Amino acid sequence: MTAAPSPSRFATLAEGVGTSVFGIAETVGGMGLLLGRILARLFPPRLDYPELRRNLYKMSVKSVPIVIITALFTGAIMVIQAAPIVKRLGAEGLVGWAAGFGTLREIAPLLTALMISGRVGANNTAELGTMVVTEQIDALRALAIDPIAFLILPRFIGITVTLFMMTLYADALALLGAAYSSKALIGVEPTAFLHGLTGGLLGFADVANGLVKSVVFGLVIALASCHFGLTTTGGAPGVGKSVNATVVASAAGIFVLDYFVSFLLG
Amino acid sequence: MSVQSRQATVAHRGFVFDLGSAAIDLARSGWELYSVFARTLYFVARGKREKGAVLRQMYEIGNKSAFFLTITMGFIGMILVYQSGLQTKRILPDFTLLGATYLELLVRDLAASIGALMLATRVGAGIAAEIGSMVVTEQVDALRMCAADPIDFLIKPRFIASVIMTTVLIIWAAAVAYVAGGATAYFAFDVPWRTFLNIQLVDHGDLITGLTKCVAYGAAIPIVSGYCGLSTFGGSEGVGWATTRAVVNSSLAIIVLNFFISAAAFVVFPK
Repeated sequence: MTAAPSPSRFATLAEGVGTSVFGIAETVGGMGLLLGRILARLFPPRLDYPELRRNLYKMSVKSVPIVIITALFTGAIMVIQAAPIVKRLGAEGLVGWAAGFGTLREIAPLLTALMISGRVGANNTAELGTMVVTEQIDALRALAIDPIAFLILPRFIGITVTLFMMTLYADALALLGAAYSSKALIGVEPTAFLHGLTGGLLGFADVANGLVKSVVFGLVIALASCHFGLTTTGGAPGVGKSVNATVVASAAGIFVLDYFVSFLLG
Repeated sequence: MSVQSRQATVAHRGFVFDLGSAAIDLARSGWELYSVFARTLYFVARGKREKGAVLRQMYEIGNKSAFFLTITMGFIGMILVYQSGLQTKRILPDFTLLGATYLELLVRDLAASIGALMLATRVGAGIAAEIGSMVVTEQVDALRMCAADPIDFLIKPRFIASVIMTTVLIIWAAAVAYVAGGATAYFAFDVPWRTFLNIQLVDHGDLITGLTKCVAYGAAIPIVSGYCGLSTFGGSEGVGWATTRAVVNSSLAIIVLNFFISAAAFVVFPK
């Protein structure tokens, strides 16, 4: 190539925008293809049950401590933030409603998803990425073992189930944390808190809303972490980059889908 | 606990053993984290200055996170106003204070905390992956051989850059979330822009709380993730583990700091 003229500022900008658009399209397309391949193995289910059990233990049971810490603190923070508002309205009995509504519909599913994305999703990418760079996936193929059915499907199911169960835990624990911190901060007895929670302003729909979200978030985290894990290239730094890409894509996906699910469920 | 003593007691380990070793590990990580923090502060005051390092990190941490943060904060702004609008409709159908209350919450807590959680995933994972890769490829040992302290050379620029850029990005994030929320209120609940743009509930206490949180989170993210990166061992799997730990621990640090700062603000600035 002959000496190329130095590109103008506009060309550089256009190139940058174009590259990132193609990058996003490639990621979304890759995740869609992966979802198709996973679904093809799900009906009828062809998956490795011992691997599923191992993954469920590693993902769910081992995440319980951070979910407990996150949920208790989150509940307390919700009360601290809601306290001035209910005081202004002069309705301390409403603190259960205010904290419960925010927790059940948004904060508990969202924060649990972010923590699980950090712990389980990132870890899953690191594990798959390491397998890819050390050519273990190729070894599986050479042994005529389908990597999707053996590795990906159990992880996919594992992450989705984990997030659903952890959100149930987080809902309960965050409300517990909220009840006791509202006693400590604004002197509302836990029974009054419970009354505000169950007094008719909140229903099963609010809990269900959060749980539906948790399943959607779980799907996003599972797809993103498996996709970036499988497309890892370039040794140890490559694994780090994949993990980074996973947590960023999961977080962006969680927030964008949260919006649409909120609108759809109303 | 050393490997030998672990193996010696492995025969009669149980719940108490697990609990104890977890507590010892926690205490040790806490101490090491504190030592990284103290040394970073020392080098901020006394260390060697490398030209352009802080600016480079500011670009890495700040400019490259701006797009991601804009998208996520825009969506969270729309969600929050939509959800609280629905509840307001159920309880008292009066939207006049929706914008003012939302802005107060945003300034005092939500912009800083949610924005910092986003930054913890992006920036924290990036720092840990980069430093972790340097550790497993023995570049950090090479630095030590050249008498360059890795904390001075690697963590200090990231620390300074993160404290500055987190504050800047969170102010931007608050603006994005507020405008997105205003648009949602206008289109979904017919709240006029003039009613929504109401700053009467924000006082100096809210501003101080919000800015304190920005600085605290901005300091916590590089320290926690830098520590996770520096304690990497064991090849590419180790880098993955370090990155995971960086994301989880910085997010936990933000949630715990949020609790303490919010509780302190509740006591110091009573409404």
